[in-house]
Amino acid sequence: MGEVLTAGTLLGAAGGEGGAHGASYEGLFVYLGIVVVILFLFLNSAKQGLNNRVFKKWTTQWTEQLYLFIENMTVGIIGGHGRKYIPLIMALWMIIFVSNIVSLFFPTAPTADLSFNLALALISIGYVQWEGMKANGVAGHFSHFAGPKLGGGLVLISLMIFVIELISEVMKNVSLSLRLFGNIEGGHQAVVAMNELGAGVYIPIGFFLLPVKLLTCVVQALIFTLLTCVYISLVTHHEEEGHEHGHGELAGAH
Amino acid sequence: MTGHVFGLGIGLAALGVAIGLGLIGYSAMQGMSRQPEAIGKIQTAMLIALAFVELVFLLTVFVVPGSLKI
Repeated sequence: MGEVLTAGTLLGAAGGEGGAHGASYEGLFVYLGIVVVILFLFLNSAKQGLNNRVFKKWTTQWTEQLYLFIENMTVGIIGGHGRKYIPLIMALWMIIFVSNIVSLFFPTAPTADLSFNLALALISIGYVQWEGMKANGVAGHFSHFAGPKLGGGLVLISLMIFVIELISEVMKNVSLSLRLFGNIEGGHQAVVAMNELGAGVYIPIGFFLLPVKLLTCVVQALIFTLLTCVYISLVTHHEEEGHEHGHGELAGAH
Repeated sequence: MTGHVFGLGIGLAALGVAIGLGLIGYSAMQGMSRQPEAIGKIQTAMLIALAFVELVFLLTVFVVPGSLKI
């Protein structure tokens, strides 16, 4: 009984009392632990189904399908050299997806916490900067921010563009984390509000919102990884640039 | 008073974002029906655009209370 009470209290504390932005610190780690355990068990089960012929185990099949999906997305957006980013993208996808799914069964979730999302976004954007520096050199990467090369007095405009691009680069962190947080936490608030609506007649109306929340879970995990792919392709795509511009002009002419 | 302003602002933001999302979905479906072979690419672009438009509403929800000191 004491054990259950402690766990329940911890979950409750993670749900409501933590502060304006979701879970308390301890509660966040409880939920993160749940996510890591689920992922570990699932992937361990998937690994046991590996063989040289046909995968019979459903966890292995699902993981294979997930891998193919991520590979399609990554290679489709970044191009042929995007294959080496698949581990990062797949790890991000699984962490975010399982964290979102946890929010369907528990009072809150790691992704319903702004600090966790900000950490994920910092990892993603920081890696993008690192890759940009590796692809274009440190000076080349930062001169990317200044836009096209302008001569004479137009250097002033380049300086302004540089500052604006720097701000937008920082805002990428905010937008990635706030989008995930807003969608998951917003889903919680909507369920709570609808439950209050149905409290008088003892019908948990918020329950009927769960399919929509499931859709949100998948789409948000997809969008986070998709945007990471887009940001990576933006800093490493210089060789196919002319090709893509040609396509854009063609599409505009039609 | 600020509560009323907040509600009105949220409503206006929801109105604009709904129109934007509708436009994106409308044009994406038109494009998909014209070129069914490009559905994958259109869906990707559509999801990215949806995410950016959605962010405007979320920014409104989280920034307005702070600026109004509610």
